[in-house]
Amino acid sequence: MQQFTTHTFGQPVAAAARVLSWCLVLLVTTAIFSFAFSQLQYGWNWGAIWQYRQKFLQGWLMTVIISAASLAVSLVIGLVTALARRSAFLPLRYTAVLYVEAIRGTPLLVQILILFYVVANAFGVENRYVVGIITLSLFAGAYLAEMIRSGIESIHDSQLESARAIGLTKVQTYRYVIFPQVLRQLIPPLTGQFASIIKDSSLLSIIAVSEFTLNAQEVNAFTYSTLESYLPLAVGYLLLTLPVSLISRALERKFHYAT
Amino acid sequence: MKVRAAFFLLTVAALLMLSTSAPAAEPVKPLIVGMELAYPPFEMTDTAGKPSGVSVDIATELAKSLGRPVVIQNTAFDGLIPALKTGKVDVVISSMTATAERATSIDFSDPYLTTGLCLLLRKDSAAQTIADLDKAGVKVAVKKGTTGHIYATTRLKKAQILVLDKESAAVLEVSQGKADAFIYDQMSTYQNWQRNKATTRAILEPFQKESWAVGIRKGNDALKNKVNTFIKEYRGKGGFEQLGDRYLKEMKDEFKRLGYSFFL
Repeated sequence: MQQFTTHTFGQPVAAAARVLSWCLVLLVTTAIFSFAFSQLQYGWNWGAIWQYRQKFLQGWLMTVIISAASLAVSLVIGLVTALARRSAFLPLRYTAVLYVEAIRGTPLLVQILILFYVVANAFGVENRYVVGIITLSLFAGAYLAEMIRSGIESIHDSQLESARAIGLTKVQTYRYVIFPQVLRQLIPPLTGQFASIIKDSSLLSIIAVSEFTLNAQEVNAFTYSTLESYLPLAVGYLLLTLPVSLISRALERKFHYAT
Repeated sequence: MKVRAAFFLLTVAALLMLSTSAPAAEPVKPLIVGMELAYPPFEMTDTAGKPSGVSVDIATELAKSLGRPVVIQNTAFDGLIPALKTGKVDVVISSMTATAERATSIDFSDPYLTTGLCLLLRKDSAAQTIADLDKAGVKVAVKKGTTGHIYATTRLKKAQILVLDKESAAVLEVSQGKADAFIYDQMSTYQNWQRNKATTRAILEPFQKESWAVGIRKGNDALKNKVNTFIKEYRGKGGFEQLGDRYLKEMKDEFKRLGYSFFL
């Protein structure tokens, strides 16, 4: 079981060295940013932002909800698409290819506008929050599909042949041989994609979804305090993405099989 | 080794010679004008991509009167005041209404145009006045950072406000029936109604009068006085009249026909 310490060339690094290095890095970063902010001729006005704290909180909660829902749905879409991509039924395979190429090749901004103002409008889906979640899920699902597919295809043929030799069905092969190994490989890129979903949800502001970014922009519009509105925005998103990082590291350790 | 050393010395010598050449005469600082080029016919781009429009012409004339070259800085509307405050632009000429709230952050020149907030409504909406829209279940679209946005948030407490950052998106919302009304200025409401006659109707009587002015950074009184002088002189020699004829002829005649006073 890998220990929770830094290793350099296989040797664990002393705790003192680790703490000092972190202090140094944080110190230098703080110094750079302090200098940059001190050069600003800017009248800080934090009082105005405090007045609108309710707006910030509501927006943050909406972003949490949208991100969580998109995370779940996109994982399902990604899984289904990855399997469809390897299907023997050609129309299914080609649908998957078309979907992945179209979504990965076009900007999310364009997808949001077209899916809401054209497609959803044609099908009579009025709720912009639902359409927003679907759009985000479709977007992330394409990227996840490719990650999952590459994970699956990285399993060596010899394993698949051995599985067939001992009589496992296709489903059993996937469940007991392929996915446990794929899961561990997938965790770093998956986390990256999840963090990306959380931040990409800010783009839903263009269809007036009242999430975190739009609320911060509205406060900025009322109070003209740009930096005081956008700095809490950065902190708010960090509050969402850092736990995802930490959970992913915990999962990486848990799934560390020797292969 | 010797060749490399010689090459290095030559480069250093060349750089030194360049840096000690006589400094060029101090160029006149350009007047950087901030505007959002998404508001025809006041702020827009022509087919070649160059800024054009009423505000661009005003900016060019102002710079000429100050004896400085003009640079148009295309900035999003709700980023104009921050850009002015941080010194990224010198003045803001972007069809911006002078409000008391904005005046706490920046200074305004004398007004150069009077208009008002109007409504672009869904075709089958029964609303006749702004008060009719202050009901639960009503969706009102506004453009972020505009006086319509401020009005809707402070005065329409029961309606749901949809904040969009593009005028075209807001008009699309109304014409698709996703919003009941779009609060915007009189002229744009008229233009949007003309372009969407089948799906929208407009109430062109302003429910809140507003004046547009040039935005100047607080404390820059010298520039403010020069701008005020320019506005008075330009109006005196019929400059605004000419701009109205050049860009807004059709609307001018239409407004006269409908009985509204023209605003420029």
